[in-house]
Amino acid sequence: MNIIEIKGLKKDYPLGATVVNALRGIDLAVEEGELMSIVGPSGSGKTTLLNVIGCIDHATEGSVQIGGREITALNDREITGIRLHKIGFIFQTFNLIPVLDVRENVEFPLLLMKKYSGAELHKRADKLIEEVGLKEFTKHRPAELSGGQRQRVAIARALVTNPDIVLADEPTANLDSVTGASILELMKEMNRVEKTTFIFSTHDANVLQYAKRIVKIKDGLTVQ
Amino acid sequence: MNNYLISISIRNLARQKRRNFFLGLAIAIGMMILVISNAFTNGISDVMFNRIMRWVTGHVTISFNEKGNIRREVCRDRERMISAIMESDGETVSEIDESIGTFAKAIGNGSADNIILVAVDLSKSVDAKKLKETEESFKMVEGSFYDLKRTDIENAAILSEEKARYLNVRKNDVIRLRFRNIYGQDQAARLTVTGIMKNSNIFMQPVVFSEMSNVRHVMGFRPWETGNINVVLKNPKKDAVALADRIHEKLTPGRAIIYGTLAYAGNSTPVAVTGYRSDNESLAKLAGILEPSGNSEIKKDGAFISAKLAKRMGINSGSRVLVNYPNKFEEKSSVFPIKITGTFNGDINDNLIIVNEADFYNAYYDNLPRVSPENTAPAFSLAETHPLSALLATEWILLKRTANTDELKKKYQDMGKQKWKATLVDVRTMYESASDILKLEGVLNIITFSAVLVLFFIILIGVINTLRMTIKERTREIGTIRAIGMQKSDVRAIFILESFFLTLISCLAGIALAFITMRLLSLVHFEMQDNPMGMLLIQNHLHFMPSSGGIVFNLLLILLMAVATAYFPARRAAGLSPANALRHYE
Repeated sequence: MNIIEIKGLKKDYPLGATVVNALRGIDLAVEEGELMSIVGPSGSGKTTLLNVIGCIDHATEGSVQIGGREITALNDREITGIRLHKIGFIFQTFNLIPVLDVRENVEFPLLLMKKYSGAELHKRADKLIEEVGLKEFTKHRPAELSGGQRQRVAIARALVTNPDIVLADEPTANLDSVTGASILELMKEMNRVEKTTFIFSTHDANVLQYAKRIVKIKDGLTVQ
Repeated sequence: MNNYLISISIRNLARQKRRNFFLGLAIAIGMMILVISNAFTNGISDVMFNRIMRWVTGHVTISFNEKGNIRREVCRDRERMISAIMESDGETVSEIDESIGTFAKAIGNGSADNIILVAVDLSKSVDAKKLKETEESFKMVEGSFYDLKRTDIENAAILSEEKARYLNVRKNDVIRLRFRNIYGQDQAARLTVTGIMKNSNIFMQPVVFSEMSNVRHVMGFRPWETGNINVVLKNPKKDAVALADRIHEKLTPGRAIIYGTLAYAGNSTPVAVTGYRSDNESLAKLAGILEPSGNSEIKKDGAFISAKLAKRMGINSGSRVLVNYPNKFEEKSSVFPIKITGTFNGDINDNLIIVNEADFYNAYYDNLPRVSPENTAPAFSLAETHPLSALLATEWILLKRTANTDELKKKYQDMGKQKWKATLVDVRTMYESASDILKLEGVLNIITFSAVLVLFFIILIGVINTLRMTIKERTREIGTIRAIGMQKSDVRAIFILESFFLTLISCLAGIALAFITMRLLSLVHFEMQDNPMGMLLIQNHLHFMPSSGGIVFNLLLILLMAVATAYFPARRAAGLSPANALRHYE
């Protein structure tokens, strides 16, 4: 079953007096539980595609269905709800909240869901923190962690809501090769254990070995 | 409101410590100035109203000026006045004080000076609060305030340090006084200094205190008489004006009539005597109404008897008659000698003598007449619409109520032009006696408030700038939390809460600073006894009276301003597109 179905997706950005056609008609279907990589050179439209799939950017044209629901016509509150409940994000620059410690960062999406008690929050967060190997760092703030540790926190945060899809935009770009490999191993393991759909973008050829499926993108179009 | 929003907001405040510290400091100083200035202004009012006016005039005063003499403050029927107060609304009354005092020339040891002799009633029981107020007001240098009760010395008195120095007297020395008593006679008395006090304000400097019974005695008050009557209320701000209005209504004067027995040439008959207005305008009107017989003329010093009564008793113009009447407060009669200057024919009353008001009131006030069953004279009544009604004597003249000091001043200016000889009775509150102080308080509050609003406006521009910088710095973070799933309204709330908490914490710090500063300023000793500014002091120290209501109001207002100011930048932050915000780099 397809968790994501994209048809004729176009995305244009105004840039001064001109318009940049970032995506020029993408058709893509992603099955549930896939570990997919989107590859392509810088400026090819990888991040834009992830942003549209992740509901943080709007399509200019075309259809995007997440879990069978068309998202292009939803209002901001509904879109935000989809991001919270269906999608997890892992950013290239980790994007942890600096004033919160590791456990609070991981709990943060659950807090936004406003349906868990304090004990439940701690239980879910602690389980994931343990899974990403940061049990000893629960009370540390992001500034006290290494890059790899921060990205592990980000992975735990992305997974804590049990999302259908985890989107990772160049998750290893700011990490050394060894740490990057361990992060990808972790994602692969999570995909295997949690059956969560993982889509990550990269332009690093070494990263591709971790993907079960690779989608190449160039000049805003998928390349077979 | 979710706790995590509050928690994040407060933690965010700590991220830009220095920036928020200086902004918070500015807000705290603004709040501190606002609290101190309000407390100082309230303090001025408190000193004037509760520590000066309250003692001098009470919250409501009934004042009496007999025979047009502004210094002759005599009430001839104390119980009637007290009844009027209690019937008006006794529930609101905390205390009724008699205000008895006089200006006097004091002669000490080789030097003399003017003083104000003031009676203090120590016969009343005193609660702990009043005892504390008394002790605060009378800081004794020598002796005790309660030594005024001493009866082993002649007229125990206490006076201020300055006055004692000026009169060159010390404890146990004797001061000789010369003053006018309530009958207008020169009187001498001796006071024995039993205590010397620090004057807590400029008004205390000329005052010499002595016990009520001593002052009543030397001034010639009889037991049923008193000076002005001061009413102290439980809640003056709420009740003073309403009570004064009700008392005023109760004190509408009736007709002043002496019912007695006319004696002449061995004959006697019941008679009613009243007075007539003696100004020229009234005299002219009287001539038309009374139709005086023969060539008798209505004069300022005349006395007219009904023509029928004169004929029956054989009284002629020039006859000297005696009117014997029972007294209201004593089991005795008084004699009112009247020299008849004419008769009147007007159809008014067959048993009536109308006397010029000066002579009439002399007799009437010296010994108020009793209206009792033994009076056999037919009751004298006259319709209010009768042209004579407005020209005959009333028990007193009740001055109209006034709303503020300006009206009060005008009323007192008009009192000088008053042509009636009856006692002038005025009912007023301390708020109208000193409405200028209320105005001053209001103006000071407005000036301070406006200045602080300007200050806060400038500070809030700082809040806006800080918030804009913060939003710019945290744009990617906003993108992240929006991407994770935070709704716009929550993002907006975080920024508004940050400003709210910064302002709240700063204001609370400002309030704490204000209280510390006021405490420190209150410790400073000012020597301003000869300076009018000294009246703002209590025991030579500044007096601050912070109002919790005022502080809460200002706090809420400033918080509201902060929230309103933060709203628009916060809305802008919340409105950022997550994708754009995540692409943002400093």
